[in-house]
Parts: sequence; C-alpha cells; structure tokens
Amino acid sequence: MHNLEHRLVRCFSSVFPDLDEEQIRNASIDSVPGWHSLASVTLISVVQEEFGVQVSLTDLPNLVSFSAVQNYVQHHVAS
Amino acid sequence: MKLIDALAVIRRPLPENAPLLRVSLACGFTPLHLETFLTAGLRERSPVERVEVTTGLFGDLAGNIEGIRSADGDVLVAVIEWQDLDLRLGIRNLGGWRVAELPDIVKSAHRMLARLEKAILTAAASIPSYISVPTLPLPPLFTTPSQQASAYELELRQAVSSFAASLATHARIRILSASHLDEISPPAARFDIQSELSAGFPYQLSHASAVAELLAALIRNPSAKKGLITDLDETLWSGILGENGVDGISWHLDQQAHIHGLYQQFLASLASAGILTAVASKNDPALVQQAFEREDLLIDNQSLYPIDVHWGPKSESVRRILKTWNIAADSVVFIDDSPMELAEVTAVFPGMECLAFPKTDYQAFWQMLRRLRDAFGKAIVSEEDSIRLDSIRAASHLHHSSNGEGTSLDSFLQDAQASVAISFGKEKEDHRAFELINKTNQFNLNGKRLTESSWMAYLNDPTTFLMTVSYEDKYGALGKIAVLLGRMRGTAAIINYWVMSCRAFSRRIEHQCLSWLFQNFDLQEITFAYQPTDRNKPIQDFLASITTTPLTGDVRVLRIGFSGKCPSLFHQAKATVNA
Repeated sequence: MHNLEHRLVRCFSSVFPDLDEEQIRNASIDSVPGWHSLASVTLISVVQEEFGVQVSLTDLPNLVSFSAVQNYVQHHVAS
Repeated sequence: MKLIDALAVIRRPLPENAPLLRVSLACGFTPLHLETFLTAGLRERSPVERVEVTTGLFGDLAGNIEGIRSADGDVLVAVIEWQDLDLRLGIRNLGGWRVAELPDIVKSAHRMLARLEKAILTAAASIPSYISVPTLPLPPLFTTPSQQASAYELELRQAVSSFAASLATHARIRILSASHLDEISPPAARFDIQSELSAGFPYQLSHASAVAELLAALIRNPSAKKGLITDLDETLWSGILGENGVDGISWHLDQQAHIHGLYQQFLASLASAGILTAVASKNDPALVQQAFEREDLLIDNQSLYPIDVHWGPKSESVRRILKTWNIAADSVVFIDDSPMELAEVTAVFPGMECLAFPKTDYQAFWQMLRRLRDAFGKAIVSEEDSIRLDSIRAASHLHHSSNGEGTSLDSFLQDAQASVAISFGKEKEDHRAFELINKTNQFNLNGKRLTESSWMAYLNDPTTFLMTVSYEDKYGALGKIAVLLGRMRGTAAIINYWVMSCRAFSRRIEHQCLSWLFQNFDLQEITFAYQPTDRNKPIQDFLASITTTPLTGDVRVLRIGFSGKCPSLFHQAKATVNA
C-alpha cells in the first residue's frame, strides 16, 4: 500500500511539480490553482498508464482529490 | 516513453542561453499528450535546446497549416488523421455513413488533400515540414466485412499515398514512415475511443509516444555515418579465397550463400548513394584482384576504395583507409565475420561501430542490413554523392604526384588544369551547401551547425550572402566542395561560416576563395568568426598562414597582408554573382 501511495505521489508530482509531498497528499481540485481540466486529463492519463487501470467517463468527475484518486486506484488495482 | 517520463524530460533544467526551437504543431484534434511527447522527444535528442510547441484551432487542420508563417515557427509538424479529410471519417461528428454517402466522402477527402498539399507546399517554401499521414484505423463505415477491403477504402488510401508521394519529392518535406510506425505501434492498439469522445484526443498513449518519437527523430536526426569497411572472406563472399580459390567462393542462392550476394548488392547501393566503401582483408593481393575480376560480383572494385589487402593486423588497414578517406573513426562502420578481428579493430578504434557479419543467422543478417540503412540513411542523394569516391581517388593521386609543398606542388597544380566555379548569391534550395555546413569538421571555421530553419533564417536576412565553390581538374570533378556564409559591410566582409570538404585540400582553393572575394568586391579586409574546435586544425593552420595575429576569437585579415602571403594560384575561376 505504501508503494502505491508513493507511486501516486510521483504521478501527481509529474503534473504538479511545484507541490511538495505533503501538499500532494492534501491536494484537491479546490486547493491546487493549476488543477484545471487539462491538468485533470493529464493526471488521469498518467495514473492510468502507471497503474494499468482504465478510468471510465462516469468516474472521471469524482476524481477531484489525491485521496479520491488513491481510493479509486486501490479499489481497481485490487479488483 | 511513458507520459510520466515525458513530463519529467520536459522539466529538465536548460542552460541559460539555450537556443530555441519553435515547433508549429498542426493537427485537427486536441494535441494534448502528442504535444507533450513531441516536446520530450525533441528535448531528449537535443538536450541543450529549448523547445516551444505552438498549436492551432481544434478541427481545422488545413486552416492551421495555412495560417503558419515562418516568423511564427522554425519547423512545421502536421499530423493528419482521417477526420481531417472529411468529418464523416471520424466519430465525433454524426454526419452519416449511408452507402449513398460514401462516394461523396471519398470526393471530399480528395478535395481536402489537394488543399492540404497546397498549404504544406506553401509552408515548406519557408520552413522545413514534417508530415504524418493518417495512422488510425478507418471507422467501420464501409459495407464490406473487415477481411475484405472496400473499393472506397482503397481509393481513400490511394489518395493519401499519392498525396504523400508527391510531397516527399520536396527537399524540405519529410514524410513519417507508415511502415516503420507499424513496427513500433501495432495498428490495432492505436485508437482510444474514450479519449477521443471525452477529450478530442484519439491516440492511445503508446501510439502518441511512438508518433512523437518518430517525428522527433525526423526533426533532429543524428548525423549519418560516412564510410563502411568490409572484410572479404565469409563476409563479402562465402568461402576462403586462399583455400577455395577464385572459383570456389560464392554468393548465390544455389550455393546457400545468397546472403553474401544480398550484402554485395547492399554495399553497391550504399556506394551509389555516395557512401564510402572499402575493403580490409587478410589475403593474397593477387588472388583478391582476380576475384574482383569475376563478372558475377554484384559490386565492382571501382565502388570499393581503397582495397587494402595484406597479412598484417586489420587495424593497420583501417588506419590507412581512414587516412585516405580523411574522416574520423566514429563516422565509419567496420564489418567482419571474425570476432577476433572485430575485437582488434575495436581496441584500436573504440569510437568505430564494429559489426559481426552473421553468416549463419539470416534474421540477424536482415537486422544488420536495416541497421546499416539507418546508419547511412540520407534524405537526398546529391550529384556530389555520385562522384565522391572518384574524387577521393583523384585526391590520392594528387597527393602522391605532388609529394609535398613548394615548387613541386606549384608545378603539379599548374599542370592540373583546375577550374573553380564560384556562385555568389542566395540559393535557399542548395541542399549540398546546407549538408556541407553540417557535416564538415576539419576545414570548418568554428564548428557551428545550422538547422534547416536557421539556414533559411540566415539566408532570409538581406545583409547576408552565400558563396559556394565547385572544383574540377584533369583528374576529375569534385563537385561543390566549399561554402562561405557572411555579410558585406562596405569594403569589409565578415565570414560567419566557412567549410570546405577534406577532398579539396592541397589545391589552394581556400586561397582562391579569399582572393576572389578581395578582388571582386574590392574588399580591404575580411573578418572570420573563428573558433577552435577539437577537429578544425586544417583551418587553424590555414588562417595562421595568412595572418600574423594570434588566433583568438575573430580573425581579421587585411588585403595587403593576404596578397603578400597568398601562393601562386593556377585555377581558372568562373563566377556567377546573383545579388
């Protein structure tokens, strides 16, 4: 699990390079000014590629924070 | 490359004064990750260059290309997909796939291809252009089952092929190879329908990465190798000449030696494109001469020079061949079937690419041919390429005949019936001049290279000039061998770039260049933007011979000083001046 979190932090860091690790763990679409639609698409693409998961269009609008993405990945990687 | 790695590459720090490459990326879809991968691919290939990619409007590929101006970008990259030819060939627009509409879809695609061709040709007149033709599968709009090609589909593909073939003949247009792309990006795994519908980006990440990587390789391609040195026994032919005799060696299918025939055919192809090809063999020279008299050889001994045959170490042959060619070891590939010979040459020339001839492994042989084609690949074969080997032979003859400097050289040059043809003007399509600037190391004023876009920008500057020099004497033509780029300032000239092919050394052509400039434009001084490099000693020596000032930074040569130091010139000079 720790490894998954570490890889996810790396994914976030690639899209939001100005955030430190702590800020990434608390990141949400409201708290990160650069988290606009293009960043969302890039972030989800990086996550899909890193974890080999396919995020469906219906789930996309819910992935608005680090913890939401983490939960999603945990659930789908496990399943 | 993975997207996460591409993002990391883009964020790598750059030197403060990193030059800028401005890429105009034209595509009809959202460029999204393609833009990221392309930027990263270019940064990987040119780590000290800043890359700025600009894109146009969604859904208007032709308009985006038509809107490109040379002031906006250094290169154009156009990525075409089927929906750019007609919206009904995509899935984001519901325009109808009825049978009755198919002829109109094809007709409309023809019209759009004509418009795109015109737009690309206009753009390519001022900036180099790199084109990717449709890479995605066509949607299932045809009535035939998937195993059967529809006539409409075939017509569409034929139209795209004709379009690409027509553009590929242009000197400043490069077409991305569809067959090479097929190898690294399987066609069935390219289309991302969800991404296309949600974000307007139709590529799977792996496909976007592959397309971008190939485009980056087209834009920033590595320098091609210049020469190939081959072994003979069990390499150029099957068998050992000393044991099997001239009639016992073979390269034909019925003797299970066909790959040696293919290899000969391949070397002949390289030689015909101006690649230097030579032989290094431990053998009996008389027997080798007899072997080369066999009429069924697919490469003649005129295409191989030098043929260095003796019983000493191979590295000695290689050293002599490099000296004759006057090129560096890292520009050459050495091929031999013997691991021991390869190791010996590698030990002496660690920068040389040494390949084992895989005489029993046909797949490895095929891969070797493909590797060689990549290593020696060139976009355009020029007239100079076809005479390169002859001119090296002539240079060798000259070297042996003149045998040094002074009176002996004077009488030799006087007898050579040499003529130089000087062209002074701005021929932007002069690919040979551009090539010389970018491949010449030894007689090179400062080692600076020019990209196609910076070449165009330099020549578009009204204060600059381009001077090229071709040479011919009784031993043969050398073709275009020198290029000077500079600026005129009243009675002074500034030379920013000056290169001369090493084949043209020892003929006083460099003196003739300056003499002509001084006289024709009544110049009183010429300043050279000189910088020493690891390899430009020949031009250092030349400049030192015509000036007394130390060679630090710009070098100024006065007419009066040059006149006193210029040796006798025997060329007949013909000049064409186009202001």
